[in-house]
Amino acid sequence: MTEALIVTALLLVAGSATAAVAVRDPVRQSLVLAVLGVVLAVLFTVLQAPDVALSQLAVGSALTPLLLLLTVRKVRRRGQRAAGGGGGSDGRRGGGSGP
Amino acid sequence: MSPRMRLWLVATGGAGLAALLVAACLDLPRFGGDRHPYGDQAVEASLSRHTANTVASVTFDQRAFDTLGEMSILFAAVLGSVVLLRQTRDEHRARPEPAAVSRPVRRYALLVLPVALLTGLYVVAHGQVSPGGGFQGGVVAATALHLLYLGADYRALERVRPIAPYEAGDALAASAYLVTGLAALLAGSAFLANTLLPYGTFNTLASAGTVPLLNAAIGMEVACAVVVLLAGFLDQAVEIVDEGEHDDGEYHDDPRQRGK
Amino acid sequence: MNGWILAAVVVLAAGVGATLWGVVTGPLRRRAAAQNLSTALACPALLLLAQGYARPAYVDLALVLAVLGPVGTLVFARLLADELADDPPHARGPTLTAAALGAAVVLAVSLATGPGRALVKVLVVGALLVGGNLVASRALAGGMQEARRD
Repeated sequence: MTEALIVTALLLVAGSATAAVAVRDPVRQSLVLAVLGVVLAVLFTVLQAPDVALSQLAVGSALTPLLLLLTVRKVRRRGQRAAGGGGGSDGRRGGGSGP
Repeated sequence: MSPRMRLWLVATGGAGLAALLVAACLDLPRFGGDRHPYGDQAVEASLSRHTANTVASVTFDQRAFDTLGEMSILFAAVLGSVVLLRQTRDEHRARPEPAAVSRPVRRYALLVLPVALLTGLYVVAHGQVSPGGGFQGGVVAATALHLLYLGADYRALERVRPIAPYEAGDALAASAYLVTGLAALLAGSAFLANTLLPYGTFNTLASAGTVPLLNAAIGMEVACAVVVLLAGFLDQAVEIVDEGEHDDGEYHDDPRQRGK
Repeated sequence: MNGWILAAVVVLAAGVGATLWGVVTGPLRRRAAAQNLSTALACPALLLLAQGYARPAYVDLALVLAVLGPVGTLVFARLLADELADDPPHARGPTLTAAALGAAVVLAVSLATGPGRALVKVLVVGALLVGGNLVASRALAGGMQEARRD
């Protein structure tokens, strides 16, 4: 039973980590990264490392997405200025291609 | 240094590191075996100092000097980000407009904020008896404050978060860690040795000697550092506007001093 | 062999596995909803693991995830408000299923824990888990509109 648990957690981590690399748009990537953080924490718990799992949960579930999305917002605002020549006044944010 | 030279330097360093790592791996105890020499010694040392959480004993007692290094890394990283993210001369602050947050979300944020803060403090305080400790609890507590931004708006967060005290708190907590180490030195043993305080009763809050003190110092350091770090990012993303990013803003700065 | 661990395997493989699929494929609204569900399902799994390993201290993990998981979803809801406004996620069925699963797991674990301080902690985790994820999914479904300033 423990083996099945470890294999499940490992597969989830491998799947989400691969997806985090394969997804190209930073916004979608940050969503995958949040899920990767949670499944990594589960893997650490399954391997009996609750201290590491707690660090991963603390950092990965809210702090990392917040830092990433704030950076994306800033970069997009700049890109918008560069593309639109003096700031598009329209709220729609372009940029960021699909996966 | 020419690119070719740099490549050689990196390759030599990498090859050396790889050789050492392979040599170390060959000498490791077999995976899944029952021989854990290092683990046995760590657990023994941790039990002799009445620390229920062996990981806390390793990080804040047996290898407390190592943790001092890690703390300095975080400190330096946050210091670097603060310098990079500061408001430069060609940027100005625009007042962010309040966001429309629906009532249940706002209520949830205001209700959970104290709970999350308390959870952070709980994790810091119980570092020596259960999983957790200064780093984890500090991050949770710092994240809790930012519920004000998520559930209300940025100005509400700024009201409870003047940056200067948090910067001072970061530095103070880092020095508190150092002072605890020096106190052990003054008391006649080694730097950061866990000899100052009585070891207390096993598996209670008052146990493990100086481990709770160091945990508290790290908790405060991490919480303040995360708040300062996020303040830099939030300022840049929400308030600070480049020239040209915003059409209707007034510029108070001298446009001649442009340049990065 | 342990029923709790078996239940955790099922929740992880079926529940979290499905949310992983959801977060990797499809439009942004589906991905955001799947991210919210992933914490809503991983938290009961952590509770089941704590019970299965007979280590009450592991409940702290579920506690931290129950507190911070919805906060993470609020981050996405807040900072992606513009993108999600035209096409808000409506995952009522899955959200309610996850909430029901969370409540059932909390109930089972608290029955197994028995009265005491540990029970209070499990119940706090349950309240934060179910309430937090319902509120977070509501926030995703258009509970937030960033005032447009640019």
